Amino acid sequence: MDVVVDTRPLWVILLSRSTRFLKIALGLFVYWAILAMDRPPDLPPEGQRALAVFGLCVIFWALNVIPLMITSLLAIILISWTGVMSHEEAFALFGNSAVFFILGAFILAACMMKSGLSTRMSLVFLQRFGHSPRTLLIAIFLLNAFMSFFMSEHAVAAMNFPIIAEIVAVLRLRPFRGNYAKALFIALAWGSTIGGVATLLGGGRAPLALAVLEQVTDETPYTFLSWMLHTLPVVLTMLFVGYLVITRWFPVDVASVKDAEVALAQKVHDLGRTTLEQRAIGLVMIATIGVWIVAGHELGLANVALAAVVLLFLLRLVEWRDVEEYVNWGIILMYGGAICLGKALAASGGALWLAESTVGAWAGSPTSVVAALSLATWLLTEAMSNSAVVALMMPVGLAIAENVGLAQSLIAPIIAVPAGLAFAFPIGTPANAIAYSSGYLRLRDLIFPGMLMGFVAWIVFNLAANFYWPLLGSALAG
Amino acid sequence: MRSPVHLKLDLAVYGVRLGEELAKERIFSAPASARDFASRDVELILPEDIVARCPVGTRSASKSPYLLRNVDDQFVIEDDSGERTPVGVVPPPRFYNEATTAGTPMWQVGTVHAGYLSIDPATTCGFAAKGAACQFCTMQNDTSATGAAPRTVEEVLEVVRAAFDEGAAEFVYFNTGYFDSDDGGFAFLQPYVEAIKKHFDTLVALQIHPPKDNQWIDRTYAAGVDALSYAIEIHDPVALAKFCRGRSEFIGRQRYYDALEHAATIFPSGTVWSDLIVGLESLESTKEGISALTDMGVLPILSLFRPLDETELREHAPPAPESVAPVYAHLYQAVRDARINVQFMRDLGYAITPIEARFFAGEDAKLDVAVSSFYRSKIGSRAVRGLSKLRRRLRVKTVSDSFDSSRL
Ligand code: SF4
Repeated sequence: MDVVVDTRPLWVILLSRSTRFLKIALGLFVYWAILAMDRPPDLPPEGQRALAVFGLCVIFWALNVIPLMITSLLAIILISWTGVMSHEEAFALFGNSAVFFILGAFILAACMMKSGLSTRMSLVFLQRFGHSPRTLLIAIFLLNAFMSFFMSEHAVAAMNFPIIAEIVAVLRLRPFRGNYAKALFIALAWGSTIGGVATLLGGGRAPLALAVLEQVTDETPYTFLSWMLHTLPVVLTMLFVGYLVITRWFPVDVASVKDAEVALAQKVHDLGRTTLEQRAIGLVMIATIGVWIVAGHELGLANVALAAVVLLFLLRLVEWRDVEEYVNWGIILMYGGAICLGKALAASGGALWLAESTVGAWAGSPTSVVAALSLATWLLTEAMSNSAVVALMMPVGLAIAENVGLAQSLIAPIIAVPAGLAFAFPIGTPANAIAYSSGYLRLRDLIFPGMLMGFVAWIVFNLAANFYWPLLGSALAG
Repeated sequence: MRSPVHLKLDLAVYGVRLGEELAKERIFSAPASARDFASRDVELILPEDIVARCPVGTRSASKSPYLLRNVDDQFVIEDDSGERTPVGVVPPPRFYNEATTAGTPMWQVGTVHAGYLSIDPATTCGFAAKGAACQFCTMQNDTSATGAAPRTVEEVLEVVRAAFDEGAAEFVYFNTGYFDSDDGGFAFLQPYVEAIKKHFDTLVALQIHPPKDNQWIDRTYAAGVDALSYAIEIHDPVALAKFCRGRSEFIGRQRYYDALEHAATIFPSGTVWSDLIVGLESLESTKEGISALTDMGVLPILSLFRPLDETELREHAPPAPESVAPVYAHLYQAVRDARINVQFMRDLGYAITPIEARFFAGEDAKLDVAVSSFYRSKIGSRAVRGLSKLRRRLRVKTVSDSFDSSRL
C-alpha cells in the first residue's frame, strides 16, 4: 500500500476534508427543501417524495459522498419509508432480469480471466500483429476495443494494463518523456471505452438503462443484435477518429519495438499450449454470444447468461471461490437501487412533473432534445461514475421524451451510449484512471485530446441518431 | 553564578566525581546497556529544569573539577571554588531490575533518559559489520552486540509497558544504526512502531539513517512516527569521511541533507532534527552546518564531543566549553530566524537543544519557556499527542483512496 502525504497547508486540507460534511448537508437540505416546498397542483404527493429522494441521491452520487451502491441502498430505504412504494415492491426490483444479466456476464468474464484465457488472447493478438511501433499501437487499441465487446471494459483495461506496462518497461520508455508510452496507455483506455459501448456486455450501463426503460414503459424493444446495430456506427467511427487523434497528438517516436516483440514471444511461450479448460470456456463463451444474438429475445438475455454459468459449473470449469473474487458485487446493489428509484420516479409522476416544469417549457424538436440529453450525459459522465449518470438521467430522459413526442425506447441508447464515452478525466471511468495510474501521463495528456474525442463522439452520435437510426426503423419521433 | 546550561556543558565535557558518601549508592551504578553509550552517565536535573547527562567513573571524569555530593539530603554540584548548585538526581527506574518473558534483562532492551525510553531493537550497526563504524562510537568494538538477534516486538512492548506503568518514561525513541537496505532500516522498525502506536497513546521518535527513496520517508510518517532524525553528525565533508567513514561512503553526505529536506516538508515543524557534534570539525564549519539545516526547516541538535574510553578517539581532546559559546548562540539565532518550532526537542541530557541555547544568546525567551512548561503538563502533552494524530489523519492518504472514486 503506497501512501501519499498531502503537504498543502493544513487549513487547505481541513477545508477540502470538511467539504464532505457540506456535501452531506447539501444532500439533506435538498431532500428537506423538496419535501417542504408548496406542492404544485400537478405534482402528486408521492411524486414530491420520490423527487426528494431523487434529489438526495443525485447529490450523493454526483459528489461521491458515500460509495455509489450504498446510496442506492439508501434510495430503496427512503422510497419505502416515504411510502412512494411498499418495501416489498421496492426490494422486488432487485429481481429485475437486468441485474441477473449483469451478474451472469460478470461470472462469464470472471471465468475467462481466471482460466487465463483472456490474457492468452491478449498476448497472442499483440504478438501476432505488433511488429512495428504503429501496428503494436493499433493492435493494443483494437484489442481493448474488441475485448470490451464481450467483457466489462473496466476488467479489460485492468487485465491488459500489466501487459502494456511491461511493453513500456522493456522498451525503456521514460515517464513524461516522449510520446509512445503515452500513446500506448491512451490506446488502452480509449480502446476499452469505445469498445465498451458496442454491446450489452461492455459495462452495466446498457442493461441498467434497459431495465429502467422496461420498468417504466413495460417495453423490451432491444435484442442483443439490435442494440449492437444502434451503436455500431458510433463505435467504428470513434475507433477511426481515436486512432487519428492518438497518432496526431502523440506522433510515434520510437523506431522499433523489437524488444517488446521478444518479450511478448517469451510470454506466449511461457503460457504453453492452450489448456482444455481454456478451450472449453472459450467455446461456452462463443456459444453464449451466439445464442444471445440469435435467440436472446425469446430465451431472455439473463436466462442465457445464467444458463452458461450453470453449464460452466456443471463442467467444473470454474469454482465458486473464483467467481467471488472476480465479480464486482457492489454493482449489483447499485443497479437494484437505481432501477427502484427510476421506477418510483416514473410511477409517482415525479419524473413527468420534473420534465414538464424544467425542460418541457423550452424543449423543441426531438432532435434538439437528443442533442441536449446526450450532451448533458456526456458532460456528467466525465465527472462522475457512468452508472450513476445512467441512474439519474434515465427517469428524467424518459419523462422528457414523453413530453416532446420522442420515442421513449430510444432514451436507453441516448443515455447509455454517451454515458460510456468518458475520454478526458481519470475520474470519468476506471479505464482512464488505470491508464493515468501508469505514471506516464500528465493530466493534460488525457484532458485535451479527451475533450476533443468526447466532442467528436457527441457529434457522431447525434448524426447517427438522426440519420442512421431511422434506417433501423427507430425514428426519433415516437 | 554560571547559567545551568553553561554548567551542563561543563559537566558533559568534564564529567563529575562522586562524593565519598555517594560512591556506594546503587543509583550511580546503572547497568551498561548493549547499545547505549550513555549508561555510565548520571542524569541530573539542573536549575530551570535543565536535564544534563554527565559521565561518572570514566578516566576524564575522575579529574573533573565538579563533585556531586549529598549535603543535608540535598544533592549539590560543588565546583573547585566551593560554589554549590542544588541539583536533582534521576534514579534508575525499577524495571531495570526486571527481565522480559523471554528472559532478557529489560535494561538491555530499553533505557530511560529524561522521560523517553530509548530502544534499539536491532542491537547492532551495519557500519560496524563493514568495519566503517564512526570513530567516536562504542559500536566499533562492541563485539557482544554485533550479530546479536534483534529484540522481538513482544519484548519491546513488554519493556515499554513496564516503563510507562512505572511512570519512568512518556515517549519512545528508536535509535538504530545503519541498515544496508533501500529503506534505511525503516522496514525493519515499522512493526515495532506500529505495535507501539496500537497499544499506547504516545509519541514515537526515530533516529535512523536515510533511505534511498523519499517514499520511505512518507511511509515513516504514515506509520505513526512523530519525530525523525537522520543524524549527519559532522558538516565538513573531509572530517565526515575521516570520523564517520560509513556515513560518508555508504550513504553520502548529500543524501542526509536531501532526505532531511524532504522530511521537513512531511513532518511538523520542529520534529525533524539532525545531530551535529561540536568538536570534531572547526566551529565555523559547525555553524555552516547549523545554517544549512535550519534553512531547510530542520532542527540542529548540538552535542559536545566526548572522548569515550573504548573508542578510537579516546585521546582526541574535547573542545573547551568556553570556546563553543558562539556556536550555541548561532544555533539559537538561526532556529529563531527560520521560525522552527523548538518545543518538541527538549529535555535531551546529551545535547544542548535550541531552546536551551538561549542562555548563550543572552535571551530569556519567556514565551518559549512558558509554552514549554505547558507542553510538559499532562494536558499539554495530551494536546500534543492529539494534534499529532489529527495532523497525520488529515495529511496521509493511501493511493487506493484516490483510486476508489472512479470505481463502477
Ligand atoms: S552509525 Fe555510527 S554512531 Fe551510529 S551506531 Fe553506527 S557506528 Fe555508532
